[in-house]
Amino acid sequence: MNGTTGTRDFAPVLAQVKPEAERLIAQYPDSRSALLPILHAFQNVEGWVSPEAMTAAGAMLGLPVSVVESTASFYTLFFRRPVGKYVLQVCRNLSCQLNGAEKIMTHIRERLNIGHLETTHDGLFSYEEVECLAACDRAPCMQVNLDFVYDLTRENVDALLREIMAGTYETPPLRQTAKPAANWHVEQDWAQKSPGAREVSSPNDPGGMGDVSGLRMIERLADGPVVLSGRPTEERLIVEGAARLKHTGSANEH
Amino acid sequence: MPVVKVLTDGIGELNLCDIGVYRSRGGYEQWKHAVTAMRPADVVELVSKSGLRGRGGAGFPTGRKWSFLPNNGRPRYMVCNCDEAEPGTFKDRMLLEETPHQVLEGILIGSYAIGSRHAFMYIRGEFKRGYEIFMQAVAGARAAGFIGEKLFGTGYSLEVTVHRGAGAYICGEETALLNSLEGKRGEPRLKPPFPAIKGLYGEPTVVNNVETLATLPHLLKNGAEWFSSVGPPKSPGFKIVSVSGHVKRAGNFEVPLGTTLRELLELAGGPRDGRKIVAIQPGGGSSACLFEEHLDLAYDFETMAANGTMLGSGAVVFFDDTTDFVKAAHALVRFYAHESCGQCTPCREGGYWLEVTLERLLHGGGLDSDIEMLVKVAHQMTGINLCPLGDSIEPFLASVVKRFEPQFRAYVKPSVAVSA
Ligand SMILES: Cc1cc2nc3c(=O)[nH]c(=O)nc-3n(C[C@H](O)[C@H](O)[C@H](O)COP(=O)(O)O)c2cc1C
Ligand code: FES
Repeated sequence: MNGTTGTRDFAPVLAQVKPEAERLIAQYPDSRSALLPILHAFQNVEGWVSPEAMTAAGAMLGLPVSVVESTASFYTLFFRRPVGKYVLQVCRNLSCQLNGAEKIMTHIRERLNIGHLETTHDGLFSYEEVECLAACDRAPCMQVNLDFVYDLTRENVDALLREIMAGTYETPPLRQTAKPAANWHVEQDWAQKSPGAREVSSPNDPGGMGDVSGLRMIERLADGPVVLSGRPTEERLIVEGAARLKHTGSANEH
Repeated sequence: MPVVKVLTDGIGELNLCDIGVYRSRGGYEQWKHAVTAMRPADVVELVSKSGLRGRGGAGFPTGRKWSFLPNNGRPRYMVCNCDEAEPGTFKDRMLLEETPHQVLEGILIGSYAIGSRHAFMYIRGEFKRGYEIFMQAVAGARAAGFIGEKLFGTGYSLEVTVHRGAGAYICGEETALLNSLEGKRGEPRLKPPFPAIKGLYGEPTVVNNVETLATLPHLLKNGAEWFSSVGPPKSPGFKIVSVSGHVKRAGNFEVPLGTTLRELLELAGGPRDGRKIVAIQPGGGSSACLFEEHLDLAYDFETMAANGTMLGSGAVVFFDDTTDFVKAAHALVRFYAHESCGQCTPCREGGYWLEVTLERLLHGGGLDSDIEMLVKVAHQMTGINLCPLGDSIEPFLASVVKRFEPQFRAYVKPSVAVSA
């Protein structure tokens, strides 16, 4: 199961974040501006942005949870599911690629036996391939819990992994208030970002019906007259338009 | 070698994060001078005269941008854009981490010039260390009386708020940045209205790049002519260029604009041993490639534009003769597909298809017709989006497909091509 929080007591977390949140809110002419900083504050304490944290942030700012969640989901650095204690974010962009990032990524994947956006069974490591980290002069590079590690080689990666496993690595681990699952995907992400991208037919068939919502509408229309009450929605206009067309024979005779 | 030390002066030698060190070298004197001895309009005029053009990507004249603010008595905001995420660009992070007070002094001077009483520093979420450094710089400047109420005994007050993003390249686009700063999804807004008219919280706002603002103390100190007399007339001044890729000593090099690409290559230690440069991407991931015959071109806004590409964010990537341009194109296309905010269909779907198509090509399932389609789709998704992100795929992709077409064709397996 993905990030069950069970019946843990959220009160201590809230008590810790609350004063910080109040200070943050006071910095802005409009309190909503403090949303990202407050989510950062919760993630600092919990290691991830839990549903409780989003509810609490919403309550502080007078925002519906749906708005908080929609906003949080836009940003890749907010983990909405628990992650490992060490998040390795390896740059996969151009300058790193030109300097051997692919080799490093393969190496880490093999060593940890996990892939992009996945977490090891013991909950120690999470792995993500990320975009340009603005350290292209020291390529290939990565961030470990957002601390930069430069000039990666298989050897220094191995040394780093050993130190993390031995508990001697200088960057402290993330907090972990819930056991991470095998990955930190949140299912609705796809649907939110790109409905068409999910069931895209073929890149060679640009006329293909990629968008499921479009398919659904066509199916519904084909199923016969739909009774729609209330406002003249676009769907209703189409249905009524079709009925009118049938009534008058065809558009051409008009 | 044409390196200069203006913004980069002292970096790597001194601890410029220490406000004492920064002040011992004249730091914050220009800030005091501006507030106590200049009118805001004087600062605007000086910056206009210097010919300084924005260092964030578009190269818009800074003084002119400031002059668009309406005189409507509304609050005005200055926002410093430190979301640096354009592939190949790493100058703002250096300025942030190595010389934060210089950046802050620039923000203060810019705020005063446009009559803002509240400035915001938007720092990319990944720059956790830079954020901490900058927070300390702000605390130090506040303690020294450079930020706050009634500065230097005048009636002018200025607040500075430091804001950290949370991972999204698109938040570098100024209107997306403003939405993000307002606690919303970082989706670009429809323009017009431009931020100068309706920006942060709907009020007149200026968004400027870190390097643009960090230049201001130097302009005040040395005068407009000192700056405008360097480099080509339409692209005057100094610029920090981030050089990376297939070179021996990648790094940031501060040079007069108009320095040639070859000189930049030499500054970066030249190509790797026994290799030869075959392509140059001169202005970040969104710029079209130049090739070996262009190495003697001057690196400035006009010359780059005249050659079908752009100076952009000042990120130069060199490619040698070992480069697989299909993989390079895939890395950049995947980047834009990943970073599309999803509002505009051409950008959202087009980027995704191009990524999938290139992936298929790389894995041996590509069709011969894919290569034409790549260029066609990249072109069709250009110019029809809310912001320029969707337009950013075509320049690099089209330029390398044209130049290195055999590399792309070589990935098409003959059997697949026949059955197509
Ligand atoms: C997709 C996209 C990403 C951008 N990223 C940045 C960035 O990281 N930093 C930046 O200063 N400007 C960025 N810009 C440009 C800004 O929109 C804006 O033009 C710039 O911050 C203005 O500053 P300047 O006038 O000082 O150059 C980006 C633009 C686009 C379209
Ligand atoms: S390409 Fe990896 S840090 Fe820029």
